[in-house]
Amino acid sequence: MDKRSITNALAAATCTLLGSTAPEPVLAQEEPGWSFNTSLLYYGEDDDRVQDLSLKTLSKRTFVDDRYLSLGLTVDALTGASPNGALPQSVAQTFTQPSGKNTFTTPPGEFPLDDTFRDTRVAITADWEQPLGRLWAMNIGASASKEFDYLHLGLNAKISRDFNNRNTTLSGGFAVAMDDVDPIGGTPTGLTQMLPVGDLSNRRGSESKDIFDVILGVTQVVSRNFLMQVNYSYSDSSGYLSDPYKILTVVDGVTGDAVPLLPLFPQDQGPSHLNYFEHRPDSRSKHSLYTQGKYYMNGKVLDASYRYMTDDWEIDSHTIDVRLRWPVGGDKYLEPHLRFYTQTAAEFYQLSLIDGDPLPEYASADYRLGDFDAITLGMKYGWKTGGGNDMNVRLELYRQSGNVSTSQLIGNQVGRDNYPDLNAIIFQFGYKFGK
Amino acid sequence: MQYGILIAGLFVFVALSGCSSMGVEPWERDILAKEEMQLTTDPIEAATDDHIYFSKEASSGGRGFGGGGCGCN
Repeated sequence: MDKRSITNALAAATCTLLGSTAPEPVLAQEEPGWSFNTSLLYYGEDDDRVQDLSLKTLSKRTFVDDRYLSLGLTVDALTGASPNGALPQSVAQTFTQPSGKNTFTTPPGEFPLDDTFRDTRVAITADWEQPLGRLWAMNIGASASKEFDYLHLGLNAKISRDFNNRNTTLSGGFAVAMDDVDPIGGTPTGLTQMLPVGDLSNRRGSESKDIFDVILGVTQVVSRNFLMQVNYSYSDSSGYLSDPYKILTVVDGVTGDAVPLLPLFPQDQGPSHLNYFEHRPDSRSKHSLYTQGKYYMNGKVLDASYRYMTDDWEIDSHTIDVRLRWPVGGDKYLEPHLRFYTQTAAEFYQLSLIDGDPLPEYASADYRLGDFDAITLGMKYGWKTGGGNDMNVRLELYRQSGNVSTSQLIGNQVGRDNYPDLNAIIFQFGYKFGK
Repeated sequence: MQYGILIAGLFVFVALSGCSSMGVEPWERDILAKEEMQLTTDPIEAATDDHIYFSKEASSGGRGFGGGGCGCN
């Protein structure tokens, strides 16, 4: 009889004498119950552009055996709009509103935007997570969101397996989304002219797009205080990928100024200059490589990530994101945040169309498809309340600046502001309570 | 598709061969178990950022799925 069997025999004998059986091993797991993560966000852009007030909640129900249900709700109240793609001119410009029912006028030297824009967005998510046996885990989810002119429906699933004493986790997942775009006034036909008020002859009904995403990931524990993740993702979009509200100015090939339009009838209300609706390809494939590291140093935690993205619209981007969580006594911490982003322009991005030139197959002057750099600087402060709940506030500044090479500029465009640089402020208050 | 299978194969190979010598014993997970050492510490903040940058830039996703579900004028 070896030592272990003697121990077992003694334990069994003791339990018998005490009138009980040997206890089952207990695995550590979270207690069942609800936890709530809530936040109030203000996002505001300068120059009367987009303002968003957003309320978010994420409710998580923990069940026995490491099973979780997460329910998310977001309500956004949006006002203001992004520049519509037209170039500023030395004279005032009038445009037909997207509804086709009215016009708006932009003063000289300003980026045109339709400031009558209002929208409410409601988004819901539901996720179920559970282990499958000892080493596998799965997650399935659904999402939906609705705006005045947009409907999103999506499903996703993910599966993971632990290896190497749970130091390595491999995961794979996919997501599908079916979105409908139903622009106010109808969807404009790409690369057709913006028409006078009441003329909707180049508008048609709603459009749709489908998005298919795949993600593969490795999470690795490197050491006691160092964790890393690497993800590869592929995304394929097809269908209507244009922005129905974005246009391009048609300019004179020598002066670079917008071509003026004379109304057919004096009573006609309509655009003062010639503009065309943008037109993007009906498919897009993106590849991304993302890596993140978390490093613990004497109570401080460094969180750094890098993402490379490339797509078949010839957009390449690099994103670096660094946060440092710095405890400042008790349960309080400060977290400075720095993010840097840079992207190249889509192959069909152009500032304007030239009057008289044959129309290209695709064209967009949407600044989000241009060549630009962006930087975010932020600070977060978090603390525990008397009841043991978590609160935090963060303030961030986001700045985008475009890179327009002078070779793209025609005549009077040189010396004008041709790219709508963006400055935004992000203020968020977060409160987490429950188990 | 072949490209995808190749990348998937490479992931599995690197993860299971290269990473097998790294890691910690189960009783050395005290730091890794801390809330601030999770890959996504604040899911609401992460979702907020993903949505803002999806709306304002031509890239999305990486950490998770590409996000989206908005007209984002």
